[in-house]
Amino acid sequence: MPIKVLAFATGPRRHGNSETLLDWVLASLGEEPGVVVEKFALNEIRVNPCRGCNACETLNKCVQRDDMDMLHDRIVEADCIVFATPIYCMGICSQGKALVDRAQVFRSRKYVLKLPVVPPERKGKRLGIFIAAAGQKMDYVFDGAIMSAKCFFHVIEVKDRDIEYLLVRGVDAAGEVETHPTAREEARATGKRAVARLREMRGPLAGSG
Amino acid sequence: MMVKVLGISGSPHRHGNTETLLDAFLEGAQGAGAATEKVILRDLDFTPCQGCNACHRKDGCIVQDELTPLFGRIAEADCLALASPIYTMGITAELKGLIDRSQYLWARKYIAKTLYYPREHLKRHKGVFISTAGQSWDYVFDGAFPIITAFFDITGFEYWDNLIANNMDRYGSIRGHPTALAEARDKGKRVVDVIGKAKERNPAPSGES
Repeated sequence: MPIKVLAFATGPRRHGNSETLLDWVLASLGEEPGVVVEKFALNEIRVNPCRGCNACETLNKCVQRDDMDMLHDRIVEADCIVFATPIYCMGICSQGKALVDRAQVFRSRKYVLKLPVVPPERKGKRLGIFIAAAGQKMDYVFDGAIMSAKCFFHVIEVKDRDIEYLLVRGVDAAGEVETHPTAREEARATGKRAVARLREMRGPLAGSG
Repeated sequence: MMVKVLGISGSPHRHGNTETLLDAFLEGAQGAGAATEKVILRDLDFTPCQGCNACHRKDGCIVQDELTPLFGRIAEADCLALASPIYTMGITAELKGLIDRSQYLWARKYIAKTLYYPREHLKRHKGVFISTAGQSWDYVFDGAFPIITAFFDITGFEYWDNLIANNMDRYGSIRGHPTALAEARDKGKRVVDVIGKAKERNPAPSGES
């Protein structure tokens, strides 16, 4: 069974700083044997904001029909979910927040309907990676975003201790992350650490077929 | 001197807890003699920020849609009440969509340095954040605060106060909350009094609000 990585570039600017960081992490993950990577740029697909109708609390599915339909099963099946966003106004960009909010269907499933989000044997074996790039350098610039990101990972059955973070400050202009002294190396290390943890979660037989 | 209060509801559903709280705030403000206006973001046709950074090089936003005149109304308001329920530990994607589009004002303020709000301006302009959350956690609004702080800073409002109520899941609705609606009406009245006095002491230069 391959290790399935599902990645979201949520920023409106294609190949911007947060997506570049994501690509570095995915390259680091993808060069490992047995790792399959699938990436979506929210800019290229359609994920509407949550309508707040709470219908998912009874229907166990969302009433909206858009690309979240095809993402839903992929989110359930992935071993590793990677979420990359630029920081806009001290938070996740609104496009990314729409995806986060649409995870409400998982929240309803988990906490209201008390149904499993993933099969029991896969609980505690999912990893999340949160990647953010901020133009500002304040030490608290990621605080608001991290709270929503954690919540997103919790409802899709990724535990707090299983979230890796790659947070890079002071990169704003297009391509600026390329000149960052340590970002590329940190991204690579994040990928390697993630693979090691995913293998550890699978146990000693991982990768043996 | 008439005080103008602009309430913006970022909730995707109408007449929910957050909008009801906003209504009570506007009612209090109206009772104190203010001219109030309510904008429902979900009724506006707008695109989130595209992250193109064109506003960093050339003044203004290249996107022209129904948010464009709204920013004009924000500039004319004496009090701005931003209302959003908490979704996934943050504000809704709709309100975040509005906030991200203020980037052109941020660029004026911090890059071109053509926009500056003097102390007297901030005395006359007050911002209030209105929110409700289902969860009982006392930190449930923490992810929203830095975003709201940034927006009020960019749009020239002193962050005057919050009107927040958590634990909606327990109370059933805001109408079941022991104090929130009365507090909202009271704060609506008080902010108008505060702004009215500030306008008398620090009158705006002619042509400005």
